[in-house]
Amino acid sequence: MNVPLITEANELAIAGVEISDLSKRFGDHLVLDGISMSVKPGSVTALIGPSGSGKSTLLRCVNLLETPDGGTVTVGSQTIRAGERVKDRDLLALRRQVGMVFQSFNLFPHFTVLRNIAFPQERILGRSREEAEARARVLLERVGLAEKADQHPGKCSGGQQQRIAIVRALALNPRVMLFDEPTSALDPEVGVEVLAVMRELADAGMTMIVVTHEMQFARDVSDHLVVMAEGHIIEEGDPAQIMANPREERTRRFLSAVLER
Amino acid sequence: MGDALLVVLLGLPMTLLVTALAFAIGLVGGIPLMIGLRSRIRAVRLACRFVVDLIRGVPPIVWLFLLYFGVSIGAFRFDSLTAAVWGLGIISSAYLAEIYRGGFATVPRGQSEAASALGLGRTVTFGRVLAPQALRTALPSIATYLLSLLKDSSIASTIGVADMVFNATMFARQNPATAGIVPFFIAAAVYLIISVPVAVTARRLDTRLRRTH
Repeated sequence: MNVPLITEANELAIAGVEISDLSKRFGDHLVLDGISMSVKPGSVTALIGPSGSGKSTLLRCVNLLETPDGGTVTVGSQTIRAGERVKDRDLLALRRQVGMVFQSFNLFPHFTVLRNIAFPQERILGRSREEAEARARVLLERVGLAEKADQHPGKCSGGQQQRIAIVRALALNPRVMLFDEPTSALDPEVGVEVLAVMRELADAGMTMIVVTHEMQFARDVSDHLVVMAEGHIIEEGDPAQIMANPREERTRRFLSAVLER
Repeated sequence: MGDALLVVLLGLPMTLLVTALAFAIGLVGGIPLMIGLRSRIRAVRLACRFVVDLIRGVPPIVWLFLLYFGVSIGAFRFDSLTAAVWGLGIISSAYLAEIYRGGFATVPRGQSEAASALGLGRTVTFGRVLAPQALRTALPSIATYLLSLLKDSSIASTIGVADMVFNATMFARQNPATAGIVPFFIAAAVYLIISVPVAVTARRLDTRLRRTH
């Protein structure tokens, strides 16, 4: 159990993320209105805010699952400018630096757990099947799911699927990890297993941006808290400080609503 | 009775040939049409939608007549088998394109998003992530279509393809006093004997695939 979740080669290459004046509209609705945000290499940023505040959209702009309408996104040394045509090669290069974990896991149901983790490595890193599967087994062992390797994801619980999804992304040596409400579809006691893996990853020094409603996780694990509402960042800073003493009325209302749940 | 059975059975290879070739054309031809139906470009989508609806909106027998009697380019004319195979093949393409499209529509959006986020290219995502899942849900419909195609292949008899129905018709005409509708009963039995195992196999395959899901 002493194998690190992230490899040494990867550790040296952990990247930061710079977002500058980012905007995105869906039809007439301005979902992101000039967002600027800086994520230091190796830091954990928690994104919170009411639903519809644009936090998921912001996250999805980092790996261009959504195409921004204005502004720039920089991951490591690669900058994407909105409005410029992104070459397929650059798009893939960006996505290969950034791992993402979804609320609904999105494992491939027709592959076994092992193939879910090995297949992307073979395609993206050009690893041999043996090498990729060996790495997959090590990582599965690491998150306590070695015995699930040959089953299909449908046979795994939600918490297991989400840990597999995390491992699938990590196997590609990402330099940044994005988490889009990773525990929202899980029962609280199951979510804990997933949060434990995320906490370990944070301790190992991965750059993480986490959209979450888990306030305890945000306070204990994240280095930086960003509160969003209606497409703006309304407040950001030290997590404990903001939670204890929000400057904005809007933040106060949101926090009390979440904590009272 | 024995003669009728023999004559009808002599048409069986032709029935199977027309069905198999038309189905093969449909399986392949449905792919580009389906891709067109899912295109990001509106004009392509509309054009393919128009073609699919046009093909499906005209009865198969009319398409076969149009191909067989209506096409003459210089000295070129379709012989009856070619007209039947291509006519039914093109019709199958349209139906199967729609079935494929329906299969893809059931694959959750998250699947292609996850593939994109991992950095998989468009071709790999399509071929290895989306298509296998789409095919699994489409499989029962594809099998059902194959069964209806087997029966519809009898339309080829109207332009002179010597399949089971053609032979049954001929036999009935040549033996008006004795044959009655016996040859058609025989043909019906043969169609059933082929259809039922296909249907059963398809259902088995379907439940098995569902289990592994």
